[in-house]
Amino acid sequence: MIRSLYMLYGAVVMTVLGMGQYQGWSLARVNEVKNVPRSIRDNPGAYRSIYSSYHHYTGGK
Amino acid sequence: MSTGPTPTGKPQVKALNCPGCGAALAVRSFGNAVTIVCDSCHSILDAKDPNLQILQRFKVATDEVRPLIPLGTRGKIRGTDYEAIGFQRRTIEVDGLPYSWHEYVLFNPYKGFRYLTEYNGHWNDVSILKALPEVHAFGSAPTVRYLGETYKHFQTAQAGTSFVLGEFPWQVRVGEAAVVTDYVSPPRVLSSEKTGNEVTWSMGEYMAGKDVWKAFRLPGSPPDAVGVYENQPSPLSGEAKTIWVAFAGFALLLLVMMIGFDMIARNEQVFTGSYRYDSNQRGEASFVTDEFDIRGHTSNVEVKTGTDVNNRWIYLNYALVNEDTGKAFDFGREVSYYHGHDSDGSWTEGGQNDSVAVPSVPAGRYYLRVEPESDPGYGVTYYTITVKRDVPQYSLYGLALLALLIPAVLLTWRTLSFEHLRWAESDHPPIKWGNDE
Repeated sequence: MIRSLYMLYGAVVMTVLGMGQYQGWSLARVNEVKNVPRSIRDNPGAYRSIYSSYHHYTGGK
Repeated sequence: MSTGPTPTGKPQVKALNCPGCGAALAVRSFGNAVTIVCDSCHSILDAKDPNLQILQRFKVATDEVRPLIPLGTRGKIRGTDYEAIGFQRRTIEVDGLPYSWHEYVLFNPYKGFRYLTEYNGHWNDVSILKALPEVHAFGSAPTVRYLGETYKHFQTAQAGTSFVLGEFPWQVRVGEAAVVTDYVSPPRVLSSEKTGNEVTWSMGEYMAGKDVWKAFRLPGSPPDAVGVYENQPSPLSGEAKTIWVAFAGFALLLLVMMIGFDMIARNEQVFTGSYRYDSNQRGEASFVTDEFDIRGHTSNVEVKTGTDVNNRWIYLNYALVNEDTGKAFDFGREVSYYHGHDSDGSWTEGGQNDSVAVPSVPAGRYYLRVEPESDPGYGVTYYTITVKRDVPQYSLYGLALLALLIPAVLLTWRTLSFEHLRWAESDHPPIKWGNDE
């Protein structure tokens, strides 16, 4: 019983993995933005990334 | 329990009266019993004596126990009908605490005697051995071999009989003591009982209470089993091994998948460009790259950044914009590289290159909007951006392996916990986990 359940679970994991690989899933943090205006090509400064307020590491040891 | 004689004589019902109190005695074993206990006055009578001589009288205190299987009840054990004819309670003392279990004498006029034991809702079907097991008494935990199976020593204790009822194929007495030693190989247990110079070996096989209830067609439901019994089979016995075998199979399949996807991945470079960023220069730093095509099925897009940062950082706000749909994948990457020397020697932190995989990017015409940032005093930083599509992601294999590993580890942990509970009650308890104080 447990073995059958594990086999089923394993098959699901492998299928999801196969799908993920084919579709190009990744663990990266990416924000999807819709309807970006075409004017960006002419005026790149008009677009502001949500990551622009990121606090940078300026250290070293 | 002691061994009894082989049943002889034709089955016949005997009507007798107790010489102690005159109550009618129900004799069920057709002359095979050695002692009979009167249900009314609790006199132990010599069944072999025509006058039913009283061997012992014992007082029944408030701790009198009524058998869960009433005497006279018939049931089918391993395809043979047996009748419950005797019942006794036996007690051992461990660390000053009494532990009692119950034994039922079962009788079939053609097959003889058989026994059922019950402790805290755990049952055993017991029969007397006809051959002697081989005892290996070396080391701290002796073992016993019987019919090719090895049994591990579980417990040795002095057991005293504290209550008796019905018929017994031996001279039973309340207060009689025997040294009982149990060896286990779940679901079986081998028990030796030493009384004086006589040693009796018996074998028990674990039975679930519901099976006993079914066998004897008893009303209601059996008492719940409490804790883990010495020869109780683990509900996960053997499962952990098969799960690990299945896990090994899946891990191999994972490797095959990794090689396969590695081979079919396009890993196609769709764009590359070299840039310069001067942090001292005022004005808008953001720019867009030339357009590039991403073809084929939806796949990831890897954006690689190579820089010449040295004891400093550069931060790049990226937006991978689909020219046709206006949909953008927005992300930021910091590239920093620091190194130096201190009292511990030389050290480094970070690196000059970075890579990120943007997930599930559909085919289309794209460009990158790039907005670099850095400390104003750093000056010029040179960097290269390379974009590839359909790049194998090994982190997903790691996640899949973890997902497959977790159930196997949990199952193994549960199996070990069960065995830990079993042996915690033995003379060989496992090392305690944690601090009991």
